[in-house]
Amino acid sequence: MKKNKVQYIGKKVLIFAISVFLLSLITFYISRMAPGDPLVSYYGDRVEKMSPQERERAEERLGLHKPVSVQYVQWLKQAVRGDFGISYKYKKDVLEVIGGRIGNTLVLGGIGFLLIFVLALLLGVLCAWYEDSLLDRMICKVGTVTSCIPEFWLSLLLLLIFAVELRWLPGSGAYTVGKSDDILDRIWHLILPVSIVVLNHLWYYAYMIRNKLLEEVRADYVLLARSKGMDKKQILFRHCLRNIIPSYLSIMAISVPHVLGGTYIIETVFSYPGIGTLSYESARYKDYNLLMVLCILSGVVVILCNMIAQAVNEQIDPRIRAAEIMEETEVTQL
Amino acid sequence: MSELLEVKHLSVGIDTVQGEVEAVRDVSFSLRAGEILAVVGESGCGKSIMCKSIMKLLPGNAKIKSGSICINGVDITSYKEKEMQKLRGNLFSMVFQDPMTSLNPTMTIGAQIAEAVLIHQPKLSKAEVKKRVLELMELVGIERAEERANLYPWNFSGGMRQRSVLAIALASDPDILIADEPTTSLDVTIQAQILDLLREIQKRLGTATILVSHDLGVVARCADRVAVMYAGKIIETGETQEVYYDPKHPYTWGLLRSLPALSRGKDRLYTLPGMPPSLIHPPKGDAFAYRNTYALAVDYEKEPPMFRVTDSHYVATWLLDERAANVRNQIAEAMGNVDAVGAQNGEMETKQLCRKRCIEKLESGGNFEVLEQAESEEGQNSETGQNAEILLDVQHLSHVFPLSKKHVIRAVDDVSFQIRRGEILGLVGESGSGKSTVARCIMNICRPYSGKIVYRGIDVCDRGQFRQNKKMLQTDRQLIFQDSGSSLNQRMKVKEIILEPLKVSHMKPMHGSYHEEALFQMKAVGLEEQCLNRYPSELSGGQRQRVAIARALITEPGLLVADEPIASLDVSIQAQIVNLFRHLQEEHGFSFLFIAHDLAMVEFLCDRVGVMYHGRLVELAPCGELYANPLHPYTKELLSAIPVPDPLKERARKTTEFGSDKYVRGGRMEEVLPGHYVEIDQ
Repeated sequence: MKKNKVQYIGKKVLIFAISVFLLSLITFYISRMAPGDPLVSYYGDRVEKMSPQERERAEERLGLHKPVSVQYVQWLKQAVRGDFGISYKYKKDVLEVIGGRIGNTLVLGGIGFLLIFVLALLLGVLCAWYEDSLLDRMICKVGTVTSCIPEFWLSLLLLLIFAVELRWLPGSGAYTVGKSDDILDRIWHLILPVSIVVLNHLWYYAYMIRNKLLEEVRADYVLLARSKGMDKKQILFRHCLRNIIPSYLSIMAISVPHVLGGTYIIETVFSYPGIGTLSYESARYKDYNLLMVLCILSGVVVILCNMIAQAVNEQIDPRIRAAEIMEETEVTQL
Repeated sequence: MSELLEVKHLSVGIDTVQGEVEAVRDVSFSLRAGEILAVVGESGCGKSIMCKSIMKLLPGNAKIKSGSICINGVDITSYKEKEMQKLRGNLFSMVFQDPMTSLNPTMTIGAQIAEAVLIHQPKLSKAEVKKRVLELMELVGIERAEERANLYPWNFSGGMRQRSVLAIALASDPDILIADEPTTSLDVTIQAQILDLLREIQKRLGTATILVSHDLGVVARCADRVAVMYAGKIIETGETQEVYYDPKHPYTWGLLRSLPALSRGKDRLYTLPGMPPSLIHPPKGDAFAYRNTYALAVDYEKEPPMFRVTDSHYVATWLLDERAANVRNQIAEAMGNVDAVGAQNGEMETKQLCRKRCIEKLESGGNFEVLEQAESEEGQNSETGQNAEILLDVQHLSHVFPLSKKHVIRAVDDVSFQIRRGEILGLVGESGSGKSTVARCIMNICRPYSGKIVYRGIDVCDRGQFRQNKKMLQTDRQLIFQDSGSSLNQRMKVKEIILEPLKVSHMKPMHGSYHEEALFQMKAVGLEEQCLNRYPSELSGGQRQRVAIARALITEPGLLVADEPIASLDVSIQAQIVNLFRHLQEEHGFSFLFIAHDLAMVEFLCDRVGVMYHGRLVELAPCGELYANPLHPYTKELLSAIPVPDPLKERARKTTEFGSDKYVRGGRMEEVLPGHYVEIDQ
């Protein structure tokens, strides 16, 4: 059994390493193929006035004159040692640049994700409980409409209403200048972006919970539970909810990248100093080293989340563990 | 005895898109403490809905329209959900048809029983609950309860699951147990065990039981009283012996006669023509009139009242009216004639004759007389069979399913048999014995682990040979599945389903256009023209199976493989389908591999029968020979498990049990008598 576990983990790590390697390779080539001038992010507007010789020298300094494959090997060698190069725009080590921003994104994405997770469960159970009532239908209709609205448009709309017209909430940034340590101020700034992240994704998951619950409620074992004398609450929470939690957890784990993608866009709209804005800038201005790390980072999150989802499913759902139990009971040997 | 449950003039309606279905119409009955009442009728007669309305477990679109349900003299008809919850489990509880789905798959059996214990005794300590759970598991005959309590439903076999459901139902010692077709989805051998268990529990705990079934043979074993339901009404009710020995309603006659045990040794099974009417607009008058050979004019006009036969026996048929006395005499006369002439005219044969034959057979300790006849027929058949070429030759077929890297299940283990041209071979065995896997290997759905399957001289498991003859192999072998509800595409019309095999194999229709061909095939399997443009979900189970047969036969196959084609149907419909198979086989002359899980129906169809057990073919013999002279202990068990619709005999009948622990794998097939092969321990 123990040996199996080691084998299992080893296999997962290997798959993970291969995926990350392929990801870096593809990102590297695509970013070099895309149009644009990386020198602009390093030298700014000065690039336009440069003579061809000056350009050549500048490219040589950044190591951009070599063939792409050579550049990749060089990058890979350094990256393995933990050196991801410097950001062209910030003239600082890439990790340092990201380190300064990642906290903001984690706060925005994390709070958003948690809210989605809890609220979706709540709304889903509510809808299933009051199936086909006015409340249920309202929630479903509102949900459908909201999830159809693209997030950038919704952000702009809410910005216009709450930040520009009513002036209740701040419209950009993560904190008021000079008050970077004030937690209340930070929460104040988070309200709009977080609510957009939540509004956009909540309904889908709430609707999923509702449908899965209703599917379970119609199962035969619920009839048996009712004939035992259990009431609706007991059946819904002890039997049905319990049975859908594994699949909910795994779907939520898979959805992390989805929510993350949404966060990136919202960050850009709100000029929120997080990874999203940074990614957008680095892609736009061809800040190669920064872009590589950001892409790999996002990729790692996606791959990890998928792996977690699978592991969660295997651990919680006893049906997947069936094989292990079967092994214990005596079966004909080949 | 006191009346424990009294249902008076109960009517239940279900709202559907097509209109209101009057599922239960003016039903009255009572249940005394400690008795078993059997409710019998075909599917769609409102038995289940009636049970659920007693428990108030009706689906949302169904409601009780009128009538009252009294328990211990208290009217519970108007009870709200909260009040019902206190009664459920405590006063009455229910066992459902399918033990596969009625247990929560993610909870251990022990936890699910414990839950049922705790609901009505929340103050019990953990140790007490555990003690009670183990006690319950032992009560329902689950051995090694302590370790099994920690297992999940999927670790259990069907019979064990049904026992667990029973343990849950009995958790708080209910006064009334409602068992809704508790044995329908189980193997025959397990079925008898569960029924005996029900009887034993009723004796030990004094639980009054309502046992619902579509099979009169099944309930003869344990019912005290029987109520026959048709089209939402109870049409005959009485003590078990009255209903079985002196049935008065023509529907009860039909149900009894369509049981295979009563047609033993005859050429054809008696079938009850047609099927129950739709209850959206129930027919005027007696709902059974349209299927009744003895229908009177008044049957089409006015509903018959309940006529009293004895104090406990009531029947709703106009035949018992004074004015119908001469008709009764005529029927009695006809019966007498038939008795003299013999079984020439199946239609005119009557229940009394059936009963008499049944008793005769049982008294003579077997069925030698009748079987002699069958054997002589068999002799002719096997002669032609021996001359005919071998169409399918299965040689040492084995198939394994891996469970993990170390362990495998031997689903099929060294099975060899042959099917000659025009022969019908039956393959019988309990679920999990590998019958379906054999069928799938023959049809190239599964690749066998080892062994050879030769069809018309082509080794179908050889990739090269298969590719060369692909078209012939695909059109010449056809498969019919057990559940046509799921094996027919729900989004295709019947016409498209029937014609699909022709179109995918680019064959020309033989009867003119595609439409005409479809019409021809529909008529051949006894379906009406208007079914052509319907969807499978609009048809009944029997009709869907007919569609599946038409689809299989449209390419004029040389070999038809049917994987439990009748297992999910009512007994009366099973008989119809078996007769249809027989008729079609005579007409088309295809070879036929017929798979079933019990021996009752196989007898009327097959030339030879093979019995499978744990992946092995343990006995293979000509049909008559097998029934007259079963040699393998497992075959004996299967034969003894066929229920007899005669309460006295049935109760006296002992099933021989063949424990799986006694079975030693790896015996050798030997020809004991000409054509009769049995596996013998080495």
